[in-house]
Amino acid sequence: MENTNTIIIGAGRLGGTIARSLNKTANVVVVDRNKEKIGRLGDFSGFVAVGDATDRALLEKNGIKTAYRVIAVTDDDNTNIFLADLCTNIYHVPQVYVRLKDSRKRAIVDERVNCICPFDLSLTEFESARENEVKE
Amino acid sequence: MKVVIADGFHEADYIISLFNTKLNDLVVINEDEDVCRYLSSSNDIPVMKGRCTRASDLKEAGAENCDIFIALSEDDYKNYVACKTAKMLIGAKRCIAMVINPKNVQIFKELGIDSAVSATYLLGEQVRNLTSIENMVNSLSLEDEQIFIAEIRISEDLDVVGKTLREINVSELGTIASITRDGKTLIPNGHSIIEAGDKVLIVTTVENRDQIVSEFQRKK
Repeated sequence: MENTNTIIIGAGRLGGTIARSLNKTANVVVVDRNKEKIGRLGDFSGFVAVGDATDRALLEKNGIKTAYRVIAVTDDDNTNIFLADLCTNIYHVPQVYVRLKDSRKRAIVDERVNCICPFDLSLTEFESARENEVKE
Repeated sequence: MKVVIADGFHEADYIISLFNTKLNDLVVINEDEDVCRYLSSSNDIPVMKGRCTRASDLKEAGAENCDIFIALSEDDYKNYVACKTAKMLIGAKRCIAMVINPKNVQIFKELGIDSAVSATYLLGEQVRNLTSIENMVNSLSLEDEQIFIAEIRISEDLDVVGKTLREINVSELGTIASITRDGKTLIPNGHSIIEAGDKVLIVTTVENRDQIVSEFQRKK
């Protein structure tokens, strides 16, 4: 069977939304240190874990060694970068995604990691909308 | 030597006082404006307000190509990112991160930080060394705990008393670097005889530590 094991770190709006949508096709675990955020996941029916995702014991308990995908979307860029390095270099997770609010930090992230930078996305969106401006 | 000290408060103040000599080019950067003012006035040096995780701020502070970069914030992952930024983007030669969580010492090193220091981790090592060896006066672990140095006091009831180092024969396990007797330090050779009251300095590897120490702990 195809490995779809996915760990999402950070149960905020982005993490929660990705969790609900991926859960239809993948085995999803959501980790967050904040119990209330986990409680707000709504109609998510996958697994959840309350705790500090930078703790290797917690990651291992939640299947990091066999994970196909990790999505680090806590609200702290530095924590996300550390998690990405940990998952890529120590656990050799094939697909790692991180959200970076400060897209300049992309420069120190391993090139195997997929960076999601809201700032860059907004800029790209703006540029493409501007190109399509109807010339008067 | 160019030394960069990023973030931290009392820790930064102390490290600055150690390196603040004419021989060193000191660069201090801190995110907190009040701390900047304090560090600057108490050490009489310029301190730049800025973010140590941002390459442009580090460059502006003059941190490029530093010999040592020390990250002292209270956030382990901020220190991690600051060290990586220093190493990858501004050419820092060596990076040291202070960490609160002792578990991060090993992980940070595995992920390429030259050195990670945790007060709790050091305390644990010290206690472990002190409790594992009877009669031990001092101990020190070097090179990521690969080299172990211990000073052992020789009491009358030990088997080694009256024997030469050749008879004790531990040369494959480590080196007896010196013997302190009546306040004088002797550099021993194979014919040197161990006497009661000596303090023996042993240099060994972590693997051989317990074995060589037990040779010197065996009772008559």
